[in-house]
Amino acid sequence: MTSTNLMPGKHVVVTDFDGGEGILVDLTTKKYYQLNETAMIVWKGLEKGKTTGEIAADITSSYEVTPDKAQLSVERIVDNFQTYKLLTAK
Amino acid sequence: MPSSIAQSIPPPGWFPVDAVVVEGRPGLQWMDMSGISLSEPFFQQTVERAKSDGTNRRELFTEFDSLLQMEKLFDSVQPTGFIFHSSRCGSTLVANACRAITNSIVLSEANAIDKLVARFITDAAEGGVKESLYSVFLRGVVQVLSQRRTGKEQHLFIKFACCSFAQIERIRRIWPNVPWLFLYRDPVETIVSNVRDIPAWLVDDDRRVLASITGRSPAEVAEMNLEELCARTIGSFFSTAHGLANDNGILLNYTQLSLPVISRVLSFFKASPSTKELETIACASQAYSKEASGKKTFVADTDAKQKLASVAVREAAAKWAIEPYQLLEQKRLAMPEERQ
Repeated sequence: MTSTNLMPGKHVVVTDFDGGEGILVDLTTKKYYQLNETAMIVWKGLEKGKTTGEIAADITSSYEVTPDKAQLSVERIVDNFQTYKLLTAK
Repeated sequence: MPSSIAQSIPPPGWFPVDAVVVEGRPGLQWMDMSGISLSEPFFQQTVERAKSDGTNRRELFTEFDSLLQMEKLFDSVQPTGFIFHSSRCGSTLVANACRAITNSIVLSEANAIDKLVARFITDAAEGGVKESLYSVFLRGVVQVLSQRRTGKEQHLFIKFACCSFAQIERIRRIWPNVPWLFLYRDPVETIVSNVRDIPAWLVDDDRRVLASITGRSPAEVAEMNLEELCARTIGSFFSTAHGLANDNGILLNYTQLSLPVISRVLSFFKASPSTKELETIACASQAYSKEASGKKTFVADTDAKQKLASVAVREAAAKWAIEPYQLLEQKRLAMPEERQ
């Protein structure tokens, strides 16, 4: 199971919107990010301290997607979060 | 002017009293409203009372994102019912009746709400991230304004400014299960009222909102006389109401306003009034609904308004509002009796 030592930054607030979607706000840069359902699952998983593997497992249990594809999606989304400096080290 | 720019989160008891832009940053003007009940017919009347009560209430400005940080901090009342209207048609009377329900909060045309709704038009393309953002901010503003201050509040009624009705679909996307009312009146009488006592929305320098509602360009709106602009606007409201009225919405004509009908509306909102509350509503409905003291007497003015209608008013109504009004009336009359 792939681990992650990253967690959502304290400078970021998240809010649910429209079913499973959400909005992230980076309070430092004042930038807003709209998250689709999958990205919200990843974000919430990271909030709970889950590994990327555990988050991918959550996704495969709810959606028709192969474990490999789910893992790839989760890692890509985590990379995006990192690119935008939305995560900090645990 | 805002007294300070704050990054901190306003504490409970503070309300967003306006949506403003400070130093190029859009956000909210907050005021300490501790101990102030929302008892006036309009929210901004309450704000004015609070400002002049001699307590030198503190104010501050925050950007909209403060709402997201506050969302989970407040114990708030979820919306019970929404009141939309085509202007000058008795909606304040209905809002005042809602206020008579014990443990209710009524937010009547609060600037922070209606100005955020207007931003859907002026600053948010359909389906873009800003549309979602303003939806979240709108939800947040309502959540803060409906914070429980006594712990007993059970109902939340929101009366929107008339132009907000044009954004009802976006509002319903945020609160899909909240029942709503659309109140309207004969277009000639509505236009007469609006051109005799011109409301701010009809002469707003930012023509984008009315341009969006009427389907014309801001430049074309700027060239319209008040009669035409009002007729086109209310005609658009009637068409919107005709298209959207459903099981979760009720249509109400000014001519129907009576104690039993108001009671039925409250029941539709699942806030059935008690006998005592009905007595309060009956008493309040004798007074002019928009006057804060409640001492000015209400006078039905259908005949007077018709007599005052100029040729320009009648022509504008005939050209842009009568047909959608009649279609809406047909739709209302075809609805089940309990929802007429």
